[in-house]
Amino acid sequence: MKNICIILSLTLISGQALFSQKYFTRAGKVTFTSEAPLEKIEAANEKATSVLDAASGKMEFAVLIKAFQFEKALMQEHFNENYMESSTFPKAVFKGQIVNPSAVDFSKDGIYEVKVAGDMTIHGVTKTIEVPGKIRIERGEISASSVFELTVADFNIKIPAVVRENIAKTVAVSIDLNYELLKS
Amino acid sequence: MKKILLFSLPVLLIGLTAAYFLYNKPHQKMENADVDMTVSAFDLFVEFDQNEAKANEKYLEKILLVEGKITDVSTNEEGHVSLTLKSSSDMFGVICQMDQLTEHERTDFTVGETVTLKGICTGMLMDVVLVRCVEV
Repeated sequence: MKNICIILSLTLISGQALFSQKYFTRAGKVTFTSEAPLEKIEAANEKATSVLDAASGKMEFAVLIKAFQFEKALMQEHFNENYMESSTFPKAVFKGQIVNPSAVDFSKDGIYEVKVAGDMTIHGVTKTIEVPGKIRIERGEISASSVFELTVADFNIKIPAVVRENIAKTVAVSIDLNYELLKS
Repeated sequence: MKKILLFSLPVLLIGLTAAYFLYNKPHQKMENADVDMTVSAFDLFVEFDQNEAKANEKYLEKILLVEGKITDVSTNEEGHVSLTLKSSSDMFGVICQMDQLTEHERTDFTVGETVTLKGICTGMLMDVVLVRCVEV
């Protein structure tokens, strides 16, 4: 009886280990685009970090605001100093979870449509969002992507009336992550 | 009337020219940028690890000259090179993203060599991240 118990618990532990695999990246790409009548503004950041727990579908994501690179230096300056106040709020963080984790078979190649819901914190303001995403599995390599829109005013970011025609009220965010297996 | 026009036209022209140049102000050239502080990658990571808020205050947006031993070299799909410098942690370090606006003298870095880089500190996620780095 005792032996069975040990074997049983061992199988459970190893089973757990098999499914509780975590994936991470520290080179995630985030771009955003603001399309206003007078101006199109784009910025890119290639150093986002993310952790994905395959078993629970839990997902975390963080990006440094000052690491966004703009085409024009002045835009970058205004973005950091006036709008994002990145010295006070250096990061944007998302903590959430795949709503339909059963839709993804991590052991089988394919592209799976998922929904991710959770708390997005930007400019010190946290808002619950739900966005569509894709998880792609190819020969054991996992990558994830998502395109969604964020409303600037939701995060208490004020755009002065003079530049209303230059900066869009909603920006399109695009995320590309190539995960690696987290060896622990 | 004519006088007003004669006077205001140059003012307007100067204003427009100034606005144009301000709008198109180029990004800072990293090769020539002045260094704000010199610190080893190891110490930089320790400071962020121990007190992130304090380190943010000290280093955020500053141009740092960091020296460290390369533990990882990676090139992304667009060919942009990033180096990770050794820290007190086994898993994390100081990531230096090489500047995309600079023509680098060399991009073939190897793990284990010691480098000195100049870059802008943007803060810490899991690693401390420096962007727009150039080798010195």
